[in-house]
Amino acid sequence: MTSPMTSATAPQAAADSGAVPPTRSAPARGGTGRSPGQIAWLRFRRDRTGLVSAVVVVLFFVAGIGAPLIAKVYGKDPYTTYGQNGTGLLNEFGFPIRPNGGISGDFWFGVEPQLGRDVLTLLLYGIRNSLLIATVTTVLVTLLGIVVGLTAGYLGGRIDSLVGRVIDILLAFPSTLFFIALWPVMISVLVPPDENTPTWLTVVSLISVMTAFGWAPIARLLRGEVLALREREFVESAKVTGASPARIIFRELLPNLWTPILIQATLALPMYVTTEAALAFLGVGLSDPTPDWGVMIQRGAQVYQNDITYMLFPGLSMVIFVIAFNLLGDSVRDALDPKTRR
Amino acid sequence: MSISRRNFVIATSVAAGGSMVLSACSSGGAGGAGTSGGGAAGTDKFAAVSIGTKQDSTGPAPEIPGAKKGGTIRPIGPQDFSHLDPQRIYFTWNSELANLYIRSLTGYRIDGGAMKLVGDLATDTGTMSDGGKTWTFTLKDGLKWEDGSELTVDDVRHGIERGFASFTTEGATYLQAALTGTNDFRSVYKGPYDGKHLDSVVTDTAKKTITFHLKTARPDLNWTLAMQSYGAVPVKHDTKEKYDKDPVSCGPYRLSQHSVDKSLTMVRNPHWDPATDPIRNAYPDSFVFEFGPEALQATDRMIADSGTDQYAVMAYSGVPAERIQKVLATPELKSRSVDGLLTGLYYYAINCKRITDVRVRQALNYAWPLQQIRTIYGGPSAGDYATTILGPDMAGRVKFDIYGKLTKPQGDTAKAKALLKAAGKLGQKIIYTYPQGSNEDLEKTKVVIANALTEAGFDPVVKPVESTSYYDQVQQIDNSFDVMWFGWSPDWPTGYTMLQPLFDGRTIANGANNVSQLKASWVDAAIDKAAAITDPTKANAAWAALDKELMEKEAPIIPETYSRRFYLYGSKVGGTEYDPLNGSFVLYKLFAKS
Repeated sequence: MTSPMTSATAPQAAADSGAVPPTRSAPARGGTGRSPGQIAWLRFRRDRTGLVSAVVVVLFFVAGIGAPLIAKVYGKDPYTTYGQNGTGLLNEFGFPIRPNGGISGDFWFGVEPQLGRDVLTLLLYGIRNSLLIATVTTVLVTLLGIVVGLTAGYLGGRIDSLVGRVIDILLAFPSTLFFIALWPVMISVLVPPDENTPTWLTVVSLISVMTAFGWAPIARLLRGEVLALREREFVESAKVTGASPARIIFRELLPNLWTPILIQATLALPMYVTTEAALAFLGVGLSDPTPDWGVMIQRGAQVYQNDITYMLFPGLSMVIFVIAFNLLGDSVRDALDPKTRR
Repeated sequence: MSISRRNFVIATSVAAGGSMVLSACSSGGAGGAGTSGGGAAGTDKFAAVSIGTKQDSTGPAPEIPGAKKGGTIRPIGPQDFSHLDPQRIYFTWNSELANLYIRSLTGYRIDGGAMKLVGDLATDTGTMSDGGKTWTFTLKDGLKWEDGSELTVDDVRHGIERGFASFTTEGATYLQAALTGTNDFRSVYKGPYDGKHLDSVVTDTAKKTITFHLKTARPDLNWTLAMQSYGAVPVKHDTKEKYDKDPVSCGPYRLSQHSVDKSLTMVRNPHWDPATDPIRNAYPDSFVFEFGPEALQATDRMIADSGTDQYAVMAYSGVPAERIQKVLATPELKSRSVDGLLTGLYYYAINCKRITDVRVRQALNYAWPLQQIRTIYGGPSAGDYATTILGPDMAGRVKFDIYGKLTKPQGDTAKAKALLKAAGKLGQKIIYTYPQGSNEDLEKTKVVIANALTEAGFDPVVKPVESTSYYDQVQQIDNSFDVMWFGWSPDWPTGYTMLQPLFDGRTIANGANNVSQLKASWVDAAIDKAAAITDPTKANAAWAALDKELMEKEAPIIPETYSRRFYLYGSKVGGTEYDPLNGSFVLYKLFAKS
């Protein structure tokens, strides 16, 4: 559950952007009086790749949020085992009878092998659940990482070394193994033995565990950035003019850190989609009948020899989503900080 | 009573990614009959389990038409054999190899899928007296060990006494318990190494007889003795623990080379006399086992059929689900395959301690969605619907279908609901459990099971248990599960080995195999009565009757499937036959074509 570090590009980005900070006091060039935010928005609007990626990402979120509505219009739901209930959809091996994974007028993306559920609604609900978990986790991880990283970096001293050790432990901790071992115990404590495990409990525990182990890399990265930034002249001058630590952190330091934060967050979101799928595969995440994007892909990889279509839709949509999200992240960074444009 | 560890084999074979179970299609009518026809294909073929006469026990084994001597057969398996010492062999894949070099007093002659119990070392299947408490066997002439020395009754006794030694805990324990009258038999006798012999086993060297005086009557002891755990071991060459590395052969082949986890070579034993052996043919000059390739890899090699793989067979891992459609759809591949059912049964044990109302248990049987479950396993190729506790390969088994599972395999939820209503238990909570993390299919079957139960008016609760501690948990008597996924494979094909360990109410204990916790005095009495019948035909009929009565009156389990396995062999291998007891090829019948 550790996200890849982008430290190779990030420090440089931060060092270059040193000129941006004193936000509103920036002297108006050419007399137009645009704020850096406006300038970034203008730059972003000119970036065609960025715009297309943004549209794609938004579409995914809309599809996820609107899944129940789409399913209602389309007339299927992701829980009914159509192939098992009726004949003519699955053959005796449990695979779709019609070519291309059973695609037909009734089942636009085909039917699922074995259980015979509708792939389109399954995918929409899967995207919905996976994106919900991944987005919440990413937001929480980023917030926690920012708070801890900034505090440790700015305050330094004992607090810094304490936080540093905590981060070390978290990074070295076999979080997946820990979760697998802890999960059954936790469930047996929280859920009475004669009740089904509620889905919300699964979701909440997934999010909290992924957050608990996920904030360390981003916090460490930001701490390093802050360590470099706090010795810079504009921070010194802010201190001299008597700015409070809160003002220095939020007004002077944070604006310089948006680039690494955005990069980390855009990398983290698709990663949490896959992490959550991996946990589900190990029996501690979402499981059938709750639809899940990652679980669909894993199942697709097992049956692709007999039914490639079933892997195609969730796989392709995942590839498109991850690429679009990463490109969007790149464009946002470029817009915020044009000097790093390749 | 003794615990059969074979049930763990049946479970772990599913565990191998579902690959071993999701295997086959019946050679018969399964191709077109998708709905209910698949059930009949294997059953009639194997209905003949019988006890052979003295004539049947006389060698040599009947010739296989077209077979010729010479060449090498190369079986491929995913892992090495765990034990070579006969007294430490229990698992079926070890027994498959053991048939090449270990001989017991009795053995199975397999012909066209029919199993016949015959004398192997003994001249016949033994003489019983005293109501099953005394058994006498006479050894054949001309039996020799691989060094040319004579195999005597003392060697046979030595093999049995070794089963008491401290290092042979892996083997079967039925005979030891019967001889001493206790399951804690090691406290009574500590094995032959301090010079003492068992009083209850009497040998006569001049007459070549060995007599067993049992504390408890065992009219089916001749079946028990066919297990490799009771194979002969030479007194002179017994190296105790080290015997597991280098066993001495009295069968057609002897061990020549073994590099652990890589390969094992068996070559001809020149001192084996075919005239003494009614079971084994032994055409190839050698067997070279290769260990390592997993089922999928082995299947792809068999499909490619190139080089020495033309002489290869899949030793004990079946065709996995990923390739089954390809193998069945390609006539050339289908012609190079054998398939058969396992003797074991997969079932769902109903906890009779928690579900006390028999009508609820019957409703569960009606509602259970067998067809949906089997479709997830891979359809008719994965197995036949089970309606009886005794599998089709069991002696005297009578087929019945009390809950209409063959006519309505998708489950009769309406009937279940009516029954539940009559019992006043509508909305009854059912806690279903299965081992999680070992078999992907069980993650799917729970969905159709929960759907069917909801439709039938139950309130299903799914509580998976992590697979490594699954058996420990469901075998606790105070567990909190109502329906538990389980499997059981008999050690020999008579009703005793299925019904006694699974349904004898006096065996209920933590860790015992009566997972249903059925405690019915009439069942216990019927088990005792059937176990004491000395005439095999009548005994088998009694077991079959009890089978039906159990399902009718108590419904302690929901039978699911008799699994089918499917194996490929190279284009130059002949004499291929399926061994229902071990679920693999009959190795000693194979021959290499030129």
